[in-house]
Amino acid sequence: MKKSIIFFAMLVSLAACKKNITSLNIDTKRPSEVPAATLFSYATKSYSDAVTSASVNTNVFRFTTSQWAMVTYQDEAQYDFGTRNIPQAWWTTMYREVLQNLTQSSTIIKANATLNAGIKSNQLAIIDIMQVLAFSTLVNTFGNVPYSQAIDQQNLFPKYDDAKTISLDLLKRLNIDISQLNTASAGFSASEDLIFQGDIAKWIKFGNSLRMQQALILADADNAIAKTAVEASDAGAISADADNATFKYLAGAPNQNPLFVDIVTGGRGDYVAAKDLVDKLLALADPRLSQYFGTNSNGAYVGGIVGQVNTISAVSKPGTKVYAADAPTLLMDYVETEFNRAEAAERGYAVSGNAQTHYNNAITASILYWGGTATDASTYLANPLVSYTTASGTWREKIGVQKWIALYNRPFNCWTELRRLDFPKITAPVGAKSGFPNRLSYPSNEQQLNGGNYSQASGAIGGDAVTTKLFWDKF
Amino acid sequence: MKKLLKSLFILMFIAVNAMAQDRTITGTVTSSEDKLPIPGVSIKIQGATGGTSTSADGKFSIKASPDAKIIVFSSIGFATQSKPIGSSNVINAVLSSDANALDEVVVTALGQVRKKNTLSYAAQQVKGEELTQTRSSNAASALSGKVSGLQIIQGNSIGGSTNVVIRGSKSLTGNNQALFVVDGVPVDNSNNNSTNQRTGRGGYDYGNAAADINPDDIESVNVLKGAAASALYGSRGANGVIMITTKSRKSKGMGITVNSGLTIGTIDKSTFPEYQTEYGAGYSSGYESGDGFLLIDVQGNGVKEKVVPTSEDASYGAKFDPNLLVYQWDAFDPYSPNYKKKTPWVAAANNPSTFYETAISNNNNIIFDGASDKGTFKLGYTRSDDRGTLPNSKIIKNILNFGSTYQITDKLTASALANYSKVEGLGRYGSGYSGLNVNQNFRQWYQTNVDMMAQKDAYFRNKQNVSWNWADPSTPEGLVPKYTDNYYWTRYQNYQNDTRSRIFGNASLNYKATDWLNILGRVSLDTYNEFQEERVAVGSQGAASYARTDRSFNETNFDLIANFDKNVTEKLNLKALLGGNIRKSLLNSIFSTTNGGLIVPGLYSISNSVGAVAAPIENYQPKEVDGFFGGATLTYDEFLTLDGTFRRDKSSTLPEGGNAYNYYSVAGSWLFSKQLKDKVDWISSGKLRVNYATVGNDAPWGSTKNVYTSQNLFGSSILFAYPFTTNNPSLKPEKTESSEIGIDMAFLNNRIGFDASYYLTKTKNQIIPVAVSAATGFTNTYVNAGVIRNNGVEVSLYGSPIKTQNFSWNININWTKNDSKVLELYNDSKNLQLASFQAGISVNATLGQPYGTIQGKDYVYNANGQKVIGADGYYKITSSTTNVIGNINPKWIGGIYNSFKYKNVSLGFLIDIRSGGNVWSLDQFYATYTGILPNTVGLNDLGNPVRNPVTNSGNSGGVILDGVTEDGQVNTKRVVIDANSPTLPQSAFSYDASYVKLREATLTYSFPKAMISKWGPIKGIDLSVFGRNLWIIHKNLPYSDPEENLSSGNAQGIQSGAYPTTRTIGINAKLSF
Repeated sequence: MKKSIIFFAMLVSLAACKKNITSLNIDTKRPSEVPAATLFSYATKSYSDAVTSASVNTNVFRFTTSQWAMVTYQDEAQYDFGTRNIPQAWWTTMYREVLQNLTQSSTIIKANATLNAGIKSNQLAIIDIMQVLAFSTLVNTFGNVPYSQAIDQQNLFPKYDDAKTISLDLLKRLNIDISQLNTASAGFSASEDLIFQGDIAKWIKFGNSLRMQQALILADADNAIAKTAVEASDAGAISADADNATFKYLAGAPNQNPLFVDIVTGGRGDYVAAKDLVDKLLALADPRLSQYFGTNSNGAYVGGIVGQVNTISAVSKPGTKVYAADAPTLLMDYVETEFNRAEAAERGYAVSGNAQTHYNNAITASILYWGGTATDASTYLANPLVSYTTASGTWREKIGVQKWIALYNRPFNCWTELRRLDFPKITAPVGAKSGFPNRLSYPSNEQQLNGGNYSQASGAIGGDAVTTKLFWDKF
Repeated sequence: MKKLLKSLFILMFIAVNAMAQDRTITGTVTSSEDKLPIPGVSIKIQGATGGTSTSADGKFSIKASPDAKIIVFSSIGFATQSKPIGSSNVINAVLSSDANALDEVVVTALGQVRKKNTLSYAAQQVKGEELTQTRSSNAASALSGKVSGLQIIQGNSIGGSTNVVIRGSKSLTGNNQALFVVDGVPVDNSNNNSTNQRTGRGGYDYGNAAADINPDDIESVNVLKGAAASALYGSRGANGVIMITTKSRKSKGMGITVNSGLTIGTIDKSTFPEYQTEYGAGYSSGYESGDGFLLIDVQGNGVKEKVVPTSEDASYGAKFDPNLLVYQWDAFDPYSPNYKKKTPWVAAANNPSTFYETAISNNNNIIFDGASDKGTFKLGYTRSDDRGTLPNSKIIKNILNFGSTYQITDKLTASALANYSKVEGLGRYGSGYSGLNVNQNFRQWYQTNVDMMAQKDAYFRNKQNVSWNWADPSTPEGLVPKYTDNYYWTRYQNYQNDTRSRIFGNASLNYKATDWLNILGRVSLDTYNEFQEERVAVGSQGAASYARTDRSFNETNFDLIANFDKNVTEKLNLKALLGGNIRKSLLNSIFSTTNGGLIVPGLYSISNSVGAVAAPIENYQPKEVDGFFGGATLTYDEFLTLDGTFRRDKSSTLPEGGNAYNYYSVAGSWLFSKQLKDKVDWISSGKLRVNYATVGNDAPWGSTKNVYTSQNLFGSSILFAYPFTTNNPSLKPEKTESSEIGIDMAFLNNRIGFDASYYLTKTKNQIIPVAVSAATGFTNTYVNAGVIRNNGVEVSLYGSPIKTQNFSWNININWTKNDSKVLELYNDSKNLQLASFQAGISVNATLGQPYGTIQGKDYVYNANGQKVIGADGYYKITSSTTNVIGNINPKWIGGIYNSFKYKNVSLGFLIDIRSGGNVWSLDQFYATYTGILPNTVGLNDLGNPVRNPVTNSGNSGGVILDGVTEDGQVNTKRVVIDANSPTLPQSAFSYDASYVKLREATLTYSFPKAMISKWGPIKGIDLSVFGRNLWIIHKNLPYSDPEENLSSGNAQGIQSGAYPTTRTIGINAKLSF
């Protein structure tokens, strides 16, 4: 018996000597605190990846704008966005990858008591500009979206805000951001700021161009507000190619342009040129044709039919420049800003210069950007079908057609302009599952996860259909 | 190794030393049926160690101390009998065959030995030989159909994981797998397959670790079904426990048993597609030629000729015509005899089923065992080589088992047990929707004109990736695979390999303080190391890559248990235990992969990466749970039993301050037959039992604090991201409540009997990563929420309809019906997605529905429940993907086992049945789209080929879909059926998952003892012929096995690139010395 007690006591004492076991639950391989800038950089890259990608699981606007077609699998080209849950992927990227990390970054910066006030102010303004960019992408995709209650760990059922209210608030935020940016102080460092490498002056230009872009989107719905905002932005907005907001991908894996990954690494050859764009470029003898696309196996430029099986050898493929490993992505550029100035002039807003000059500047810059020469540009502008004075239609059509061409490889912005300017008229895909998509429907999981707010929003915008027009889409 | 063997032999010698006793008892043991002596019956004096066994004529002699009171006779196949030792030195015993008799002894939680007639909860035992008779190398899969309440699902890949669920899924997103305990050692059965693998997005099924248990070493398996039975195991016992007792010698002496088996397997053609043979490559019959072909100047003579559209992975193209000569894929392979030659346009002579080879497995096992008065030992070795039905696949297992007990003093016994296993896998089957799974093509994306043997020749000629799927045969650059590699290239170049070495075992000391108090101290260890390598060769369609995973897991349990067993009064017995357990575990892993391709072809190392290598993914997850527990069992006169247990655990994964939780069980049983014994003689035994238990559970590791995840460096820029799933610092333990009522009865001298239970479990306060709106900035967050209820009935029936001296027929039936219902989810949410799959399909926990709804697009139905057809003549399909189109749960499952014995020949077979539930097939979904199956050809109602053009005349092709127009009229619009036409919604591919299978059959011949006795040391020879998965007698899922799955885990019910069932037939010889 004695022995057993000793034996028992030994084992109990073995069991008794232990530390606080809760510490075992701490992850020793992942940080709970990180530098604020690393989250900002990640958000920036995530946004760029999303708008650049051609993955049929996320960004399918190249088909919607009739610039690219698919060889074999036609679901997304035929406006079937449900099978691969495109709205959910797009929505999730904007909120979870972009906005969440921007918010976290901003929270850490705000809490940093020792950071230089000038740097802090600049960093917060830059983050806010990026938040405006992401929210504007959401609003202009879906309409009403969670905004005032979004990105909050304590609120798992955020309400949807009215789209116009959000858009107006975004303009206000840009006003503040622009005034808050001060070139006397630094912002993020060159390696943290993946767009302007720390150049505050360029952020100010970007802020102005973004404000002009967003204001013009509102123009048909609220001309007065648009006018004020555009006029406030004109002088400070991007005025040269050097000011472009560019995300520069790297030549080496894993930081290559998403198109390189989709097309070269993926090795599938799913994507080909669409007939609408190729035909238009051919008709206009556009010097960008050979940059935008390659030829088919007979050396001819032939566009594929959107929504129908295309034989790869018979049609043109995207040009190698588009999907080079280190091909840059434009988030905002001189070309678009000049088109916007042209439009502002046509709308009678007080901007410097006239519509034709800005139109010519935009087209010239675009041709040069894609590798054409000044002579190419002047020849092109002399073409009566292109020349602002002789091209057909109203300013909406003239600017709309040329903007559609110039916004090649900027599929989301291109889609927005197409919905807004209503030119050119796009050929409906073969086997279209709906009319032209004026928006994406809400992600299907919102019905399950945030049902009450979803129903309310879907009623408020006039029904959760792809054909429902957004509040600014008056024509 | 030498040293180890040496020490083993030393132990062995010590073990066979004898010990003096005071009094000698002799006697003879005979069988109650044939009155013949039984050899090899183990005889023990209760309370003493050691024992003896009967000789060939049934006689024995054993020494007993003067205070010895009870002598126990036990033998496999007979009911154990205890007899009081009186003054007589001669004690004879008559044993009756046990046939599941209630007085059987069973091993229950924490190794307690209980008489079955005092058990107050459901437990079902399976003998080891029932698991090994078909030489399945996986003990878990061999349990299928043999135990009520237990659902086993195993896919058809080689060495794949086995889903083992008892009484339904209780946890919404957590682990629902039963706990495996081998001789007191909890054996980790986690499935480390990636989420991508489990949701059909490619990867390999590496199996789960219970496969490391040696089936040949299993003496018996006891399935503890409810929480009351397993409560002492703590939270891990909440899903039930598979208790495995390994072999140990029962009788004195030494023995050697040798098993040697060979099995061959071939695919069951009823589980593989049949292909239509009328049309070939293409998504339509258009293309440049207008009749389904490309036009290319192949000969370079300026003449464009017809070429098969090789890039198209579908068979909606040109109609076959043996008189039409066209250039096919091999015309562009310079080494093919058909290079630049036209060949007839016909269906392939060898379809993909010819890709499958004959699987060959051999399995050898030897066990030495010995026993003396002082102890026992055993040493076993098993090697199995399984070659799969896919080329270049094999799994080699080596398992070494050692076990020994030794009585150090009268009171102190030491025992140790060790299992070492090494599993080496090569060329495991790729799974899901991936080019590495050849079935993704065979079932979904194929050209019926491609001849598999021609593909084989094309690969082996130069071992190059000559695929039928040239991206663009019109240009030299286009002569690369578009989507699909040559399948032989895939198997021989893009293969994986892995090893897992594992040691589990324990060492314990048992101190018998008094005749009523035992103290057990035990340390048990389970540790394994895994190394997995996956590769894609340079020259493949996808980017070349190499990835490796190094993972180690170990778990140590320290147990200290005091056991009391005392007769309080003559009729009242008290058994009690009190103990403590410390469980420490550590998962440590690192995963690394190349980026952007490989520099040097054929060199598989991380440093051979073209692009900068991303930071490896590391996991270091230590965990500790400290618990103490107690239990008491009061038995009155061996017919009334009252049980109670209590346990308190403290877990490191819960927030400090709230990390301890208590749970308990109460149970009672009444052996009412004892009262009836003299009145109703046809009732042999009858017992009523009822119990209630709660079990707590802790949180997954690391779910209480948020951490950031590191991203690839962008040049010199550092990137971090906020997690997609946010953690919760205020998690509380979850709780399962369960109650059960059951009855066991046997009649007519135990010739027939049953065991039935009804149970109800509710799991509350579950710790789940609920999905939330992404507008919150994350997509999941850990909360305590959700309630699942499971209730069900399980019945086991057994009987011996015929029992004569020479012939016997035994039958065993197991039947299980489980109904689950999700009663509550987080806040207002009505659905929790468990996994999402391709084509907008998901498996979910949906409020008010059984756990595991399959959701996707559905037909649009009108108010009368008719399918609505749109103006275009096609079905209207919902735009939402959240319609419930199936459920993964069967209505019921069952197994019927029959065995016949005539003299020395025995025949047994098991029918395994599943009724109801659904399986959704991505394979059928895409096969319909690509037109490879026979149902996409044939004649329509007008007698014309359905693929003919739709016209308004009598020669029209196309079909009229069954349904009504939007205004309720019967549809009359004829439509085209091809890849580009919308036809059927996802719900059309949700199939009834019922099956009836002839799972096992065994024919054994045991050489007569009389004959063998002349052959020297040989004591027994059994020769058997067996088969497994012999025949799917009934199923509703076309071309596939409804049981096939992607992996074990909660996301069941989906097939993607399903493997055909392997039908195995084998022979085995068992020799005992």
